[in-house]
Amino acid sequence: MAEFESKLPLEKNHVFEACHHVVKALRASDNNLDANLRKLLSDLESHLSTFVMVDDTEVEEDAGFSEIKERFKEAEKRILAWEQNQSTILEAGLSEADHFFQALYEVHTVLMGFSVKANQKEKDVYNQATVALDIAMLRLEKELCDVLCQHKQNVNLETLAVSSRGKEVVYNDESFVSLDDEVVVVAEASSHEDDADLVDPLVVPHVKAIANAMFACGYGQAFSGAFISVRREALEEYMFFTLEMERLSCVDVLQMEWEDLNGKMRKWTKVLKIITRIYLPSEKHLCEQILGEFDSVSTSCFVDISKDTVLSLLNFGEAVAMRPSQPEMLERFLSMYEATAEILLDVDNLFPDETGSFLRVAFHELSRKLADCTTATFLKFKDAIASNESTRAFPGGGIHHLTRYVMNYLKLLPEYKDALNSLLENLEVEDSITEITGQDILPSTFSPMARHLRSIVSTLESSLDRKAQLYADVSLKFIFLMNNFHYMVQKVKGSELRHFFGDEWIRKHIARYQRNVTNYERSTWSSVLSLIKDSNDSVDILRQRCRLFGLAFDDVYKNQTRWSVPDPELRDDLHISTSVKVVQSYRGFLGRNAVRIGEKHIRYTCEDIENLLLDLFECLPSPRSLLSSRRR
Amino acid sequence: MRPAQDNQGSFLGRISIRRNQFVDVNNEQEQEDLELFQRHIADRFTELLSPPPQQQPPSDEANTVAPVAATEQIMSVTWLRKLMDVFLCCEAEFKAILLMGRDPTQISKPPFDRLVPEMLDRSIKALDICTAVVNGIDSVRHYQRLAEIAVSALEQRPLGDGNVRRARRALANLVVALSLEDKENTSGGGGGGGNKTTERSWSFGRRSGGSSASKGGATIGQLKSSSWAVGRNWSAAKQIHAMTGNLNPPRGNEAAGLPQPMFIMSTVMVFVMWVLTAAVPCQERSGLANHLPVPPKHLSWAQSLIGIHEKIGDEWKKKEKKGSAGLMEEMTRMEKLGHSLIEFADAFHYPAEKEASESAAAQVAEMAEICRRMEEELVPLQQQIREVFHRIVRSRAEILEVLEQAGKLSAPVV
Repeated sequence: MAEFESKLPLEKNHVFEACHHVVKALRASDNNLDANLRKLLSDLESHLSTFVMVDDTEVEEDAGFSEIKERFKEAEKRILAWEQNQSTILEAGLSEADHFFQALYEVHTVLMGFSVKANQKEKDVYNQATVALDIAMLRLEKELCDVLCQHKQNVNLETLAVSSRGKEVVYNDESFVSLDDEVVVVAEASSHEDDADLVDPLVVPHVKAIANAMFACGYGQAFSGAFISVRREALEEYMFFTLEMERLSCVDVLQMEWEDLNGKMRKWTKVLKIITRIYLPSEKHLCEQILGEFDSVSTSCFVDISKDTVLSLLNFGEAVAMRPSQPEMLERFLSMYEATAEILLDVDNLFPDETGSFLRVAFHELSRKLADCTTATFLKFKDAIASNESTRAFPGGGIHHLTRYVMNYLKLLPEYKDALNSLLENLEVEDSITEITGQDILPSTFSPMARHLRSIVSTLESSLDRKAQLYADVSLKFIFLMNNFHYMVQKVKGSELRHFFGDEWIRKHIARYQRNVTNYERSTWSSVLSLIKDSNDSVDILRQRCRLFGLAFDDVYKNQTRWSVPDPELRDDLHISTSVKVVQSYRGFLGRNAVRIGEKHIRYTCEDIENLLLDLFECLPSPRSLLSSRRR
Repeated sequence: MRPAQDNQGSFLGRISIRRNQFVDVNNEQEQEDLELFQRHIADRFTELLSPPPQQQPPSDEANTVAPVAATEQIMSVTWLRKLMDVFLCCEAEFKAILLMGRDPTQISKPPFDRLVPEMLDRSIKALDICTAVVNGIDSVRHYQRLAEIAVSALEQRPLGDGNVRRARRALANLVVALSLEDKENTSGGGGGGGNKTTERSWSFGRRSGGSSASKGGATIGQLKSSSWAVGRNWSAAKQIHAMTGNLNPPRGNEAAGLPQPMFIMSTVMVFVMWVLTAAVPCQERSGLANHLPVPPKHLSWAQSLIGIHEKIGDEWKKKEKKGSAGLMEEMTRMEKLGHSLIEFADAFHYPAEKEASESAAAQVAEMAEICRRMEEELVPLQQQIREVFHRIVRSRAEILEVLEQAGKLSAPVV
């Protein structure tokens, strides 16, 4: 650099110096100087200072200055050396990093030491220092990005508790969409304390040193900008690649087929928990570690890093909440609602202040919306059961798919009992159990959810009663009701549901299907057995009655082998109780009258009857021809 | 970050609440309401087209450098905020006309069985545009930060080569970002409207392998589909186009009834979305200018709206040729100032020449003023747009509820 100095005669130099002093003194003397005058003086002063003054003190200063300059040149060299170096300073080792920061400190000292009265040489050094600083800052920015990228770590999902829920396959028909077998992976963010390390903890002090240096040199914005962009990219990569979330528009969500959406909702619920309970707290922790000394910067960086991803999670929730609610969406809605309700506290902690308040508020709103949706869907579910009408009797009297659907559905709900209880708390419902009675002592039996569950099942019962009316055969009607009530009781007894329905409910419903058993036996067998009642009839009449009994039995056999009692135990019980009644009566009848009637007039032996009765309710495809197989 | 409530008073006060008083809507009353609605629409847009004389407080220190009119100029951030207010007012009034005191079955009969679903469909598309625009405003905030860096570097005294170098770098990034077209922004399959690209090259070509510094935008980072703000393959221009596809002015005796305000409201909605899309970076908008059919000129309520449309449309066509991130007035000025300050930086020699640095100082001050305005208004604008989003969601739900009451949309399943 061309250094030129004005070579002035010594005397003139003194005059200039004197002037300079006068001007300086004048400016210093009065702070209330007129603005114009002040400006004039300041101009004059800077003008005078451009002349180099050579005197004794100057020589001394020069000595001090040349040392500064020397050190600056050394520092500059160090900084520039890194320009050609592609590896990170971190890799070069601790002492190299120290040297770099030391060089930066030298440069910074030059800049800080600058005063208005600096001479030309000093100004030149100052100017060079601004350039060196900028080069160093740019180098640090690159260092920051490289280090953050190279030492990025992902949340290890295997450390998360994984639980699975098996689900029953449910009969699928035209109206109720099936619930398929599925395994749900629930991330339980059990331990908040041990945040994941998103960046290798070993490099954090280095990154922090970069932050301190850049902020001290007035390059804080550059640091934040680079930091945010790298960390945001890492979050996006995690969310959209590692977790395979998809960004979906409202149009996409509203047009999507239920099966597809079901999967997306499931994924959302899982991702929401991972992001808000594990990833973001860790991210926030990282921000605090590195930027903790610049409090508001740390907060705003964290919000900027997470905002985009968080908004896309919120958007999906909002879009889903706009779908017209369908009964089959209840469980998904419940789990989404439950997830949002669960994470509200986490979200409050993530965004406690003004900067992120819109995200905090948005989560609370979303949770409320999902609550509304879930309640609406729950009520729709009940409505759908109530309005489920059939036009013809359910063949075979087996378990109606509505019963299967409803009961299997209900079985999924205890999992969400807290969510449901809070949602249903203020919703009036008619309940069969009105007050605490002797047997039931569990509080869950009287929870809002329990009342609603019983109410749903009683809606189902009404619907089944209407369906039962469609049977022309009164006996089949009883079999149908028996099957369905038995199924309901089994489902309740064999699952968490029993704590909600309570013992009294179970007892009442067992009594109900047992009544159906009795009713069935009466309606089918009373007339048949009346044929072989004890009486003093003539041989002809006895023979006639024996024949009629055979025909009636054939008739029952033909019909009822096609009926269905799917539960093997229930079927066995029914076989036994029927057998006891029928075979005993028949054995008595034969015992008293067989001789008189004559063997050739007796169509069935007691053993025949006993064996044939076992074929009842086996849901055989076509009536078995009795005559060909049994006739001797 | 101011709470959203700040800007609610302005429109709530203006909603006509007179409908509350008429439960029994007869035909005459309805006619009167419709006329009033049209007049309000016309008034509001006239005000937007030519704002009333300034009431800007003279104490504003920036008056000397920033032309006062700029605050209210079409497409300025202040103007966009007004536009949001106007939209919310129109929407509230429209909903009152559509729903209040009306027999639900009335809007489920033909032709409404077609018109209402079409309108709801449009509103869902508008929601996605809101999302994209909110994201686009984030990009603008990124430009603001670049400009702030340039400003703070150029405000250093004495101004050294290093400061200028720093400013030059920020300005170069800024200018490139401001003139990037969506296609470039999103090439490689992502970019949510520009910020991703430019932020990734925050100060230098990171990930480029080389250390070549200071040419922002030179290396567009590898973009991913994950960066889409709204969804893969989503296009703002296509959405606008789809919204206008079935938007026709009512004819015959429909023109006198409820179809008329429905048409007006849909037009206003599409228009507002179109303006937002043009104002800030937005995912995929090629051919945006062609996508908005202008409502028939003879409609009195539409005059000012057409006027604004023409102004913006002309600007867009001009910009589309050379590429632009958005027509927001502040961005346009930023770009101009950016270029001019880059010139200053390129010609700079230490120590600064007095004349050059004085004129640069004035530009720096103007840039600082733009940044200040953005700092004040961008976040509230974002909040207003989210408010619009929620309003549309709520109205949609209310309309669906009424339709459900009418029994026309009874439970679809079971």
